[in-house]
Amino acid sequence: MAQTELSAPVIQALQDLTILFGAPLVSGVISHVEGRIQGRRGPRILQPYYDLAKLFRKETVVPEGSSWVFLVGPIIAFSCYLVVPLLIPVLTTYGLPLGYMGDILGGGFILALAGFSVAIAGTESNAPYAQLGASRAMTFGALIEPTILFVVFAVGIITATDLPYALAATVRSSSSEIVRPAHILAAVAFFLVVLADTGRIPVETHSGTLEFGMIDEGRTLEHSGAPFALLKWGSAMKQLILYTILIDVFVAPWGLAANQRPVSVALAIPALLGKAMVVGCIFAVIDNSFSKLRLFKITEFLAAAFLLAVLAVLVFYLGGG
Amino acid sequence: MPNAAPSTFTGAADVIAVLVLLTEFAMLRAPLLRSQVRLYAFQSLVVTSLAIVVAATRHVDELYVLAALSFILKVVIVPRIVLRLLSRAEVSLAGSSAFGVATMTMIAIAVSIFAFFSIGALHLQSTALPSAALAISVAVVLVAFVLIILRSDVVSQAIGFFSLENGVSVASLVVASGLPLIVDVAFLFDLLVAVVVFGVLMRVHHGRTKTLSTDSLDRLKG
Repeated sequence: MAQTELSAPVIQALQDLTILFGAPLVSGVISHVEGRIQGRRGPRILQPYYDLAKLFRKETVVPEGSSWVFLVGPIIAFSCYLVVPLLIPVLTTYGLPLGYMGDILGGGFILALAGFSVAIAGTESNAPYAQLGASRAMTFGALIEPTILFVVFAVGIITATDLPYALAATVRSSSSEIVRPAHILAAVAFFLVVLADTGRIPVETHSGTLEFGMIDEGRTLEHSGAPFALLKWGSAMKQLILYTILIDVFVAPWGLAANQRPVSVALAIPALLGKAMVVGCIFAVIDNSFSKLRLFKITEFLAAAFLLAVLAVLVFYLGGG
Repeated sequence: MPNAAPSTFTGAADVIAVLVLLTEFAMLRAPLLRSQVRLYAFQSLVVTSLAIVVAATRHVDELYVLAALSFILKVVIVPRIVLRLLSRAEVSLAGSSAFGVATMTMIAIAVSIFAFFSIGALHLQSTALPSAALAISVAVVLVAFVLIILRSDVVSQAIGFFSLENGVSVASLVVASGLPLIVDVAFLFDLLVAVVVFGVLMRVHHGRTKTLSTDSLDRLKG
């Protein structure tokens, strides 16, 4: 019996659509679980979709004195978040045609461009809190960057390539690849980076209304209507993208489709979303069981992540750790 | 060419050695003197488990005895003695050190990079020897020195010295697991002497200055 196979462009599009429409769901599950942990009932799981639908219907208000950058920033960021899923293993174990147009550093650059355009849009709003958020986000982003670089180096020397698909394949190949210290250290360092980057820990209040505790959320305070919806959607997508990299490249690259049959690709979608929800719940538990640090203690946290990433490279340098 | 993954023994030894190094780094940032002692107990526990792993994979039965001895001494007795001394001193927080935590961590990272490259320069190529674990144990020793030098309280200095011995144990376990038991026990006895000396030092220092900080030692005696 001849098996029908999906063509590569279709799977490629499915990758994007999974991230696009799965991201609000994952965020919804996380905030629901978070509510339960805090002894509340928590918002409905589908609440992020309703929020987005509401925001898209609202009118857009632009602060006085701000230029077109204020409105274009969210669109650039959103399109960046649509490009990154093409580069990383989302649904398949094999590289799709566009998967080779950029390596793991290229994906990092596109994520950085997204962060930059949101920050510049926030600065353009002429509002102090948005500018504070933008400035903080850029400062701490620069502190996180060395850790990400060393994680990339670790990935690079373990697989001798810089393609995320290659590391996932290496991790799948044998169990001794998982326990090798370089891989564990790089994975933990990346875990800490994701913690800091998704606004969980060490200093940020994830869903607070206190402007002084905000970093990423602060940037978008002045936006409204459709651009704000794009920003919210974009940050949910960024979270899911980072989870996907953590899961499909470092921690658990199982459950991906190994061929182009519709069934296996269709199974890969709930597998990814399920794993992302589990990871998100772990993050929520961590977030709610540790106290926040003071803002200027963030260097300590990032120094710890940096230490792990550097050790990953060093351990590998000697004796193939 | 990607390097082949190491064997299970090498991988396990490396992971344990990395854990020892990470606890050493955690000691650098622990603000409570008590938590520093607990970290030392944890580190000793990790070293003990390394001894058991080596004993099991290389069939050196003597190492089980060593593991038991070092568990009793380093995980139970020494931390308990230091904690008791601390509870008498009634000082819980370490004084501020010369550098911030992030700076200390960066210095310690630089020092351990030096350790890695200096062991790497020796070009030890052996299938039986986990050279990464050896390099890490050297890094543990050097970071312990950083701890002793940069933190200005007697407890950190004592714990730094004890954990330095842990680093040496890791090195001796991975390099010379067949070392006669009597030599290992002599190491442990050495540690016991150090505990007595540091105990006396802590008590005398606290009795004279009412603190555990060494900052007051550079004042002129009148």
